[in-house]
Amino acid sequence: MGASETYVRGRRLASEQPFALVVGLVAIWLVWFLLRGLATGNVEFNNLVSYAWDGLMRGLIIGLASIGLSMTYSILNFANFAHGDYLTSGAFSGWAVTYLLAGLGEANVGSLLLVGAGGSVFGGTLGVGITTSPIAVIAGMIFAGVGTVALALFIDRFVYRPVRDEGGITLLITSVGVAFALRYLIVFVFGTDVRGTTAAGSVPELSMFVIDGSVKINAHDITLAVVAVGLMLGVHLLLQRTKLGKAMRAMSDNEDLARITGIPTEQVVRATWIIGGGLTGVAGYMFVLWKGTLGFNDGWLLLLLIFAAVILGGIGSIYGAIGGGLIIGLTASMSVIWIPSEFGRAAAFMVMIVILLFKPQGIFSGRTTA
Amino acid sequence: MSLLTVDSLDAGYGDLQILTDVDLHVDDEEYVTIVGPNGAGKSTVMKSVFGLTTYMGGTVTFADEDITDTRPEDVIHKGLGYVPQSDNVFAALDVEENLEMGAYILDDVPQDALREVYDRFPILEERKDQKAGTMSGGQQQMLAMGRALMLDPDLLLLDEPSAGLAPDLVDEMFDKIDEINDAGTSILMVEQNAKEALRRCDRGYVLANGQNRYVDEGTALLDDEEVRQQFLGG
Repeated sequence: MGASETYVRGRRLASEQPFALVVGLVAIWLVWFLLRGLATGNVEFNNLVSYAWDGLMRGLIIGLASIGLSMTYSILNFANFAHGDYLTSGAFSGWAVTYLLAGLGEANVGSLLLVGAGGSVFGGTLGVGITTSPIAVIAGMIFAGVGTVALALFIDRFVYRPVRDEGGITLLITSVGVAFALRYLIVFVFGTDVRGTTAAGSVPELSMFVIDGSVKINAHDITLAVVAVGLMLGVHLLLQRTKLGKAMRAMSDNEDLARITGIPTEQVVRATWIIGGGLTGVAGYMFVLWKGTLGFNDGWLLLLLIFAAVILGGIGSIYGAIGGGLIIGLTASMSVIWIPSEFGRAAAFMVMIVILLFKPQGIFSGRTTA
Repeated sequence: MSLLTVDSLDAGYGDLQILTDVDLHVDDEEYVTIVGPNGAGKSTVMKSVFGLTTYMGGTVTFADEDITDTRPEDVIHKGLGYVPQSDNVFAALDVEENLEMGAYILDDVPQDALREVYDRFPILEERKDQKAGTMSGGQQQMLAMGRALMLDPDLLLLDEPSAGLAPDLVDEMFDKIDEINDAGTSILMVEQNAKEALRRCDRGYVLANGQNRYVDEGTALLDDEEVRQQFLGG
């Protein structure tokens, strides 16, 4: 009787929710594969932990970079496709400052400001790193934020604001144009070569022994974690505790009502670009510090993952964006346990689609910054 | 001396004109109701006073100051409060944050006004940490009124305050409005529930097709045979 009941239940599940059944079976297979791998030694514990750490770092980058996009989406009602190139712009402006401070006197100012365009200077030769040149790195990070704020305000004033009343599609297409314009302006000034930015060999590493091997955590991982978590907490406090933050949430919730309660909407829009732009610039800078290379396509390539994170978390929710970023980052890194690493991105998008099929509104659904 | 004067107002949305030559006024501490069939332009009158429509002609004067076609975020500085018919709370904010937003234009949240709102609507104090979007329709309506009262306005515009309320709450809502008016705040109200509204108010306007049709004391309109036949269902 027990067996036939189980059989009936199984049949019902298969006919009513065939998709859930398939996902369930795949999940079971993945877990079994992992456990078997661990038992037979095909998968090493220390690798598992290393992948998870790498995924966490990627997740923090994507999460941090997603906040700005999520904010401008929920408050201004448009998906800014130029967001990826804001990241790149922030990275280049910040790294120009870092190179200048780290290499002043060692190389000519022009090549330093062009972040070693054409192989004229190398970050490794300058000894760039959080421990070797902390002031240059911190100043660069701050300038990346400030520079991106200026860029975001400039573009908003002269490009987005004039077309803001024309609706979402017009803004979206305009932002695609801005994306290309920015990217090729960067190419025009800094060139197309991907350069190494940090003295990779001299970044201090912490090696921890985990069961069957070691897991390495370097100083740039720690810097990224501290900066990302600090800024996320800061945004949280801003939105929940300050008058400006509450006004931003109010405006994202109901713009007409915000206006009749006397909230100066243009001022809130400007504040949104300032905060969103600053976070985006710092995220771009940290991304480059962490991976150690800089190219004109960095932000654009990250943008798809950022959109995935934002959609996964529930468009417009900054907590969703952070959560979505962590899921995407962890999936992309940990998928190498099961599949070749070239498919990491594809796996991240698969997971996004599967989660959205079950929760179409995203994990933290609702168009709100709260 | 009238507090609010609307003189030959023409207004609408984009190219679509809704109001033609609308006149109305609200005196100090007066309670005025606008009734009329669906689509008569009742809500549009309120929105026009608050600068939310396309201005097409005429004037709006408040406390001797011309506020014609003033931006919504500036109207609130003049001493008017407005409770729209729907979407009138910030759903994602909690009750207390909604009330704080009501006093956004002040540097600090006015504690005495907050106290007064809580005394008038005790349910709001009980639920001050609840997200507004999770409250019932009646509670949201009270929150929306409380929000509009945070600046202690001279004139309160109420658009269909009884819409969507359970029948036993409708009376309670009208009692609250009486109390607010008795405390010295002028009221300009649009209501579907025309008979009850006219019974309670000082003066009423009947609006049809975007134009004034009748104006008189509320009870006189209730007794008017023509108004009853055409607008109050006999």
